[in-house]
Amino acid sequence: MKNKGIIIFLLIMAAVIIAVIVGDYVSDRPNRSKPNPFAYDVKEFKTVDPELIHYKESKNFRIGFEKPVAIAIHDDKIYVAGDNNLKCIDLSGALLHDFTLPGKPQTVEVFNQNIYIAINNQILVYDNGGNLLNEWEPMGENSLITAIAATENDVFVADAGKRKVVRYSSDGEFLTEFDGKAEEGVLHGFIIPSPCFDLDINDVNELWVVNPGLHALENYTFDGNLRAHWKNTGMRPEGFSGCCNPSHFTFLDDGRFVTSEKGLVRIKTYKRSGEFEGVVAAPTKFTDEGRAPDVAADSQNNIYALDFDKKLIRVFEPKNNTRLQPGD
Amino acid sequence: MENNSKSKNRREFIQSGVRLSLALALGGVGGLALSKVIEDDWVWQIDPFECTQCGRCATDCVMSPSAVKCVHAYDLCGYCDLCGGYLKPDANALSTAAENQLCPTAAIERKFIEEPYFEYHIIEDLCIGCAKCVKGCTSFGNGSLHLQIIHDICLNCNECSIARVCPSDAIKRVPASEAYKVKGDFTNNPES
Repeated sequence: MKNKGIIIFLLIMAAVIIAVIVGDYVSDRPNRSKPNPFAYDVKEFKTVDPELIHYKESKNFRIGFEKPVAIAIHDDKIYVAGDNNLKCIDLSGALLHDFTLPGKPQTVEVFNQNIYIAINNQILVYDNGGNLLNEWEPMGENSLITAIAATENDVFVADAGKRKVVRYSSDGEFLTEFDGKAEEGVLHGFIIPSPCFDLDINDVNELWVVNPGLHALENYTFDGNLRAHWKNTGMRPEGFSGCCNPSHFTFLDDGRFVTSEKGLVRIKTYKRSGEFEGVVAAPTKFTDEGRAPDVAADSQNNIYALDFDKKLIRVFEPKNNTRLQPGD
Repeated sequence: MENNSKSKNRREFIQSGVRLSLALALGGVGGLALSKVIEDDWVWQIDPFECTQCGRCATDCVMSPSAVKCVHAYDLCGYCDLCGGYLKPDANALSTAAENQLCPTAAIERKFIEEPYFEYHIIEDLCIGCAKCVKGCTSFGNGSLHLQIIHDICLNCNECSIARVCPSDAIKRVPASEAYKVKGDFTNNPES
């Protein structure tokens, strides 16, 4: 009788222990978490009116980089840098060249037969066969090269670390540098809170530089004098949000801007005047909280987005390939 | 005579054994005490680079309001006018109006420095550690706002109730001498 009582007691104890363990297991564990009552909600800005989307995704290329870094297009060849390599592929995705670099690339630019690559804040110049043509003087200790734009005689380098644009000759001779201050008290120079600082040269040889802290695109003479600018702040499709947008941009061959943003990751086009035109890829196309893709465009106005999160080149082609009319 | 010698040896052996045991025990206690003096205490810490701003720090801490607070790396901050950590995404103006503030407890103070820069200061007493501002700053800024456990508020529980539910295992026990892992050098996370 006494033994029976002990057995019943032990069974009840075992049942209680199992109930506690199961209760603890199914309780508020991370993978069973309740919705966040303090969620930062930007859902309404992720949905874009389909009328505003002027591009469709047509294909994508897997590039085989663990860490893709930058993309450039020249003569309808795609140059993509990542890991310790530079790959050149044609517009159908076929690999043309793949050569090893002496370090991790930061950005790439191609003009005529020259490939400019920044490695350890130094510009290295290669030819199409991967032969090193020139090695420029390294930039200073606090420099951080984020973009290069080249023309016939000049090469402009965006230095996010020093918040300056540096102008070199095509042989690598330092010519001048400027920080975006038009004159004392009028313009505040480049505001670069994070390493998002892009520049490019358009079809009529104009140098455009992003001022990400002001959500502005600024046009400078090659000597560094501000000539024109436009800006657009806001979360809505036509604006740029956060501290550092647009993170990347490029030009279509008719001078229109293609911008890429972080935070609310999206790609958009603007007319030459800076007027908002439409959306290339809405935020729903990208990984939540992903990085702003680097962008490049071919001669047919197809846009190539280097998606750092999916490690793909994603190709967007215009739904109606309309070119800009004179005066736009 | 022989018996006497044997019993003396036994007694000596027991005495030596007792002495040795006492010496070892004293040495052990002394060593333990010394190690307690020399060794660091352990405290809970958030790794801001692992944090996913899930909101659990506000809801699951045994303290009310939470011992987790937002801290600001001023040397990293861009002093932006359009601050993703201060303003609601749909703010109708870049102003301090209550309807434009993202923080549910108005724990962030915005101060004009010079055109176009603004400084953001966390009022610790009001902060509940919800990470809403951290999410906004990390997504749209450079992540200068981040969460950390404040140790004069934290009870240093044996099992941290937030660590138990943290989806990214961002809360770890660390020596008290390394209690605060704070941001402030974006080279730690250049891709942000």
